[in-house]
Amino acid sequence: MRSLIAFMKKEWMEQVRTGRIVILGIIFVFLGIMNPAVAKLTPWLMELVSESMAEMGMTLTAVQVDAMDSWTQFYKNIPIGLIAFVLMQSGLFTKEYQSGTLVLTLTKGLERYKVVLAKTAVLLGLWSVYYWMCYAITYCYNDIYWENSIASHLGFAAMCWWLVGILVIAFMVLFSALMDSNTAVLTCTGGAFLAVYLLSLLPKVKEYTPAMLMSSSALLIGGVEVAIYYKAIMIAIVMSIASVALSIPVMNKRKV
Amino acid sequence: MEILKIEHLKKRFGDKEVLKGVEMTVPEHSVFGFIGRNGAGKTTTMKTVLGLLKPDEGDIYVAGEKVIYGQTATNRHIGYLPDVPEFYPFMTATEYLNFCGEITGVNKSESRKRSEELLELVGLAGEKHRIQGFSRGMKQRLGIAQALLNRPKLLICDEPTSALDPVGRKEILDILQAVKEQTTVLFSTHILSDVERICSDIAFLNDGVIVEQGTLAEIQGKNRTEEYLLETTREEEAKNLLQVFPNIQELQKNQLSIRGSEETLFKVLKYVADNKIPIHKVEHLEPTLESLFLEVVKG
Ligand SMILES: Nc1ncnc2c1ncn2[C@@H]1O[C@H](COP(=O)(O)OP(=O)(O)O)[C@@H](O)[C@H]1O
Ligand SMILES: [Mg+2]
Repeated sequence: MRSLIAFMKKEWMEQVRTGRIVILGIIFVFLGIMNPAVAKLTPWLMELVSESMAEMGMTLTAVQVDAMDSWTQFYKNIPIGLIAFVLMQSGLFTKEYQSGTLVLTLTKGLERYKVVLAKTAVLLGLWSVYYWMCYAITYCYNDIYWENSIASHLGFAAMCWWLVGILVIAFMVLFSALMDSNTAVLTCTGGAFLAVYLLSLLPKVKEYTPAMLMSSSALLIGGVEVAIYYKAIMIAIVMSIASVALSIPVMNKRKV
Repeated sequence: MEILKIEHLKKRFGDKEVLKGVEMTVPEHSVFGFIGRNGAGKTTTMKTVLGLLKPDEGDIYVAGEKVIYGQTATNRHIGYLPDVPEFYPFMTATEYLNFCGEITGVNKSESRKRSEELLELVGLAGEKHRIQGFSRGMKQRLGIAQALLNRPKLLICDEPTSALDPVGRKEILDILQAVKEQTTVLFSTHILSDVERICSDIAFLNDGVIVEQGTLAEIQGKNRTEEYLLETTREEEAKNLLQVFPNIQELQKNQLSIRGSEETLFKVLKYVADNKIPIHKVEHLEPTLESLFLEVVKG
């Protein structure tokens, strides 16, 4: 247990001292602020546009924005945040293989599964903090400017997308145990996710695929039952756990 | 007692058989020189001992325990310094040693004390910079410190001096010399003068097998023919001697090498005396590992 914590501490120090933690923090805070900001600025932008449109003889009716517009932005922006996160963290394992830093750690007797667990825990922890921070920022601004209550199942919908991130990270861990370069990790993680997405295009299996969770913003306007997401949630959780669990024997067998 | 025993180790990469049945025994409390040319398979052998590479055949025992590929149990007896040690560049030397202490499970105060002691030993005490700014020599020294952290029974160093300048080499050799009281040292090298300086035991790896193994004194003395240098005053007499004695070889114009026992030398000297050949000097050449190594490698 102590060695696991020691390795996690090292991971944390690496995130801090390489500056990754700050850069990703800025990105997610920025996204969190952009969501309400874009919504807030839309009427003003429309006004600017409509003036020039009026000169051409067209009229636009004034638009009303509310919290819903800001939440719509949230679901447009969160994939950007996830992609940034994956891009910046994709070398978490492979850089250690390539530079050889893991050799000394392992020959000190640290069990390989602890390497997998510590890195996974740090990734999931960071993703969760960034994600919910972004959510909280958007939520607070929305509350100040408008009413959050017009959106239903806010928390549940957000949880669905958070799970999408967890699944992608779990894929990344598995491919990090399998592959040697972070390009390969990125390609395979993207490929696996694409495969899940393509499956979701088949009407019969759609409700079982985690890609279904990406459309959770449909819950916000109401009239949709949360229950239709339950199967996808279960499958996403099972796939995430399976990916991380599978990466342990893979890691045990790999050459470092 | 032997601390390391390698039995019939075989390893191939693709269709290239690098190790063809290595048999090697490292006695406890020795400074063991593992000698071989570049590409002989020294690193491969060491990585297999550490469970980092999977052997195709053969068994390895560390302190009597069998090494199993991918598992780390036997590594608790071992301190390892790889050929190019890589540490987390964002840490300082002290932070790195403390990190190593924590993952090995030594208790905190003991590990702190040990870190300071070792940094002192390798001359890195008070070094406040992060490892990313370290020179090769500093990294090697930190490498030895981390390898000794858990008081290993066996310290394995992969070519610790090869990439260093003479000063750096001396520093490392002095450190290895200093720790031999506490642990068995196994180090690989192709620099034979390093071996002659500090080793008690050696093994030659050549063409995938151990061709010579024993104490330094044994090997230096074993199956060696003595070599003498005979320098005549004039070139013609050297030529003459070359024709008379088949086991004489020409080194330079009037310098001859006589190989064989003392008897051989006496025969030559008798001939010299009988024929009143003027000579400049006669000298007994000290056997070097270098010449032995070349002999062995030639086959
Ligand atoms: N991972 C590998 N894949 C293919 N060939 C390898 C690998 N590692 C080592 N070799 C080959 O095995 C031989 C022995 O290498 P090595 O053990 O590093 O030699 P040494 O350490 O004695 O210089 C070399 O010819 C090298 O090219
Ligand atoms: Mg080598």
